[in-house]
Amino acid sequence: MEAQRRKGSPKIVWVTLAIVLTAVFAFSGGYIVGANESGQPHGFTVIDDYGRAITLDGIPERIVSVAPSPTEILFAIGAGAHIVGVDNYSDFPAEVADITKVGDYNLNVEAVIALQPDLIVTGDLVNRQQLDLLATKGIPYVILADRTLEGVLKTIRLAGVITGHVSEANHVADDMESRISAVKNLTLAADVSSPKVYIEYDEYQGLWTYGPGSFGDDLITQAGGTNIAHNTSSEYPKVASEFVIAEDPNIIVYTTGPWSTLSSSTYHDRPGWGNISAVTNDKIYGMDANLLSRYGPRIVDCLEQLAALIHPELFP
Amino acid sequence: MALLTDGSAESPEVDFRRLMRKRFISLSLLVVVLAVSAFVSIMIGTLGPIGPGKPEYISFGDAFGAIFQGHGHWPDYYDDVFWDVRIPRVVLGALVGAALACAGTAMQAVFRNPMADPYIVGVSSGASLGAVIAGLTGLAGIAFLGWLILPAFAFVTALLTVFAVYFLGAVGGKVNVNTLLLSGIAVAAFIGAVVSTMIYFSGQDYHRIIFWMLGSLSMVSWTAVIVVFFAVLVGAIVVYVFSRDLNALLLGEEVAHNLGVDPESLKTTMLIVAAVMTSAAVAFTGVIGFVGLIIPHMVRLVVGADHRTLVPAATLSGAIFLIWTDALSRTVIAPSELPVGIITALCGGPFFLYLLRRYGMAGESS
Repeated sequence: MEAQRRKGSPKIVWVTLAIVLTAVFAFSGGYIVGANESGQPHGFTVIDDYGRAITLDGIPERIVSVAPSPTEILFAIGAGAHIVGVDNYSDFPAEVADITKVGDYNLNVEAVIALQPDLIVTGDLVNRQQLDLLATKGIPYVILADRTLEGVLKTIRLAGVITGHVSEANHVADDMESRISAVKNLTLAADVSSPKVYIEYDEYQGLWTYGPGSFGDDLITQAGGTNIAHNTSSEYPKVASEFVIAEDPNIIVYTTGPWSTLSSSTYHDRPGWGNISAVTNDKIYGMDANLLSRYGPRIVDCLEQLAALIHPELFP
Repeated sequence: MALLTDGSAESPEVDFRRLMRKRFISLSLLVVVLAVSAFVSIMIGTLGPIGPGKPEYISFGDAFGAIFQGHGHWPDYYDDVFWDVRIPRVVLGALVGAALACAGTAMQAVFRNPMADPYIVGVSSGASLGAVIAGLTGLAGIAFLGWLILPAFAFVTALLTVFAVYFLGAVGGKVNVNTLLLSGIAVAAFIGAVVSTMIYFSGQDYHRIIFWMLGSLSMVSWTAVIVVFFAVLVGAIVVYVFSRDLNALLLGEEVAHNLGVDPESLKTTMLIVAAVMTSAAVAFTGVIGFVGLIIPHMVRLVVGADHRTLVPAATLSGAIFLIWTDALSRTVIAPSELPVGIITALCGGPFFLYLLRRYGMAGESS
């Protein structure tokens, strides 16, 4: 390739340019191309959280949402009435219960086709082969799956453009932004301590926590804590019991939900954990697993709760 | 081949005619059952005609219309539902079932071991490695192309693994089945560990691989159907052509040699054919267990160990079995899907045990 480029092959130049441009678009994921401010263009292109360009013929009237977070986002920005189908895991807000279900990570393709949607919004856990098949049937999909606080705001604004609910989406995002900065102004102030936090979301065959680059890690940092697993090797690492004992977290947060087996006594009873600060001071708290894992509008609630747990002195 | 018939014959000629008639009846019966199964399972789905009918109910009349005429007084998407979702899926299910059962039959004959299955020489772990590489390098994430890259990687690594196992297991140019068996297990365990390590570090990307590894027919496309069709067609014909030689091999390699069969080239041919068939199937659907192990045994219990009947009968039965298990997987917890591997084991296990009790191990020849 190097030799060809020196010869100045125009093909290579174009290919290189295309790759660079694609990379730039991917990097700036979430930005909108060719849509005007009112969000009512006839045919427009959006770049989703995976850097994919999706061209829509107009504002979609019928939307199928196949992940809980996009469902929550669409309802929060007032586009819930356009949702004609949801995945089995979407359970918030309560109105979702009456919407047709179309499967889980594996979609029921024929049920989706029968709903005749204009657009599918999805997270990144859904079977991509099936989504691509639906795209060839004229039903495009947009992936909304950014996993940082900043990213969620961007995703909400993007959802506003896609659904034509630009002002509501901006309102929701602005409101979240001010609540986030209100928290961060307190938690990230120079004179505030940064207690060590351990979040456990499962104890099945090991202790599972949030590692670097994950949602939980970002939330702990913004809430003014230090994630004890921040320097581990993967996004969702399994850590050893002695690692947690050695790190001596000041606060333990476990997730609660229909599948959770965790409770406060789990940690008091765990062998060798008696002298961990969080256990001796009984700073062990449960938190709704859905709040902690869904990159939707409720993530601010999660941040506020987490900040109040970590810094009760700042949030009386 | 008189040894392989009832042995109660008055003359070899009458005996042969009876065998031919029996074979003809059982095979044509299976073809009819296959056709009926395929047709009925195309009618099964969330939208009906056989199914819960949500969010829409398709009547039998509209279903026939959409399948045979395309557009009519029914919504246009009925055409998509049948021709792009259900029919390719049922056809792919049949082809994959056929591939696994046919390859399983060949492997059990070559290894002369009842535990042999299509994955015995490392196809499944090799294919997983390719799927993981495609998933982690992000290549599989490319829209419209990614879904072809993953199967392509899986297919290539599956074949490479089989060749690695073959060369490690073949000592001095001779294929000793026991050495091959053990090298297959060792290589599969090693690659399995590599795959697990890669998945552990894969973060958000793990789900792509996990989907694939669970084994499902939901990732269907006509391209997949065409690729698997040619692999199965060629593979099944080759195995059938060698079915006499496989019969001879059952008596032992020395006897086979004395009967004019070259056991070395036979084993190599069967390994290649089975590996290609299985890799093509696995690449598109992930590892669907149990079919390739149990179907050959089930069919052998009923029709006997003569490969001239066993190979086509097992191939057809594998197709029928996977069509029905997939139909169940699509419907039991509709609108969700239960992975088909769970159903193959749930239905296949007890049925196999029933056959084993009824016909006894005497019908088995291994």
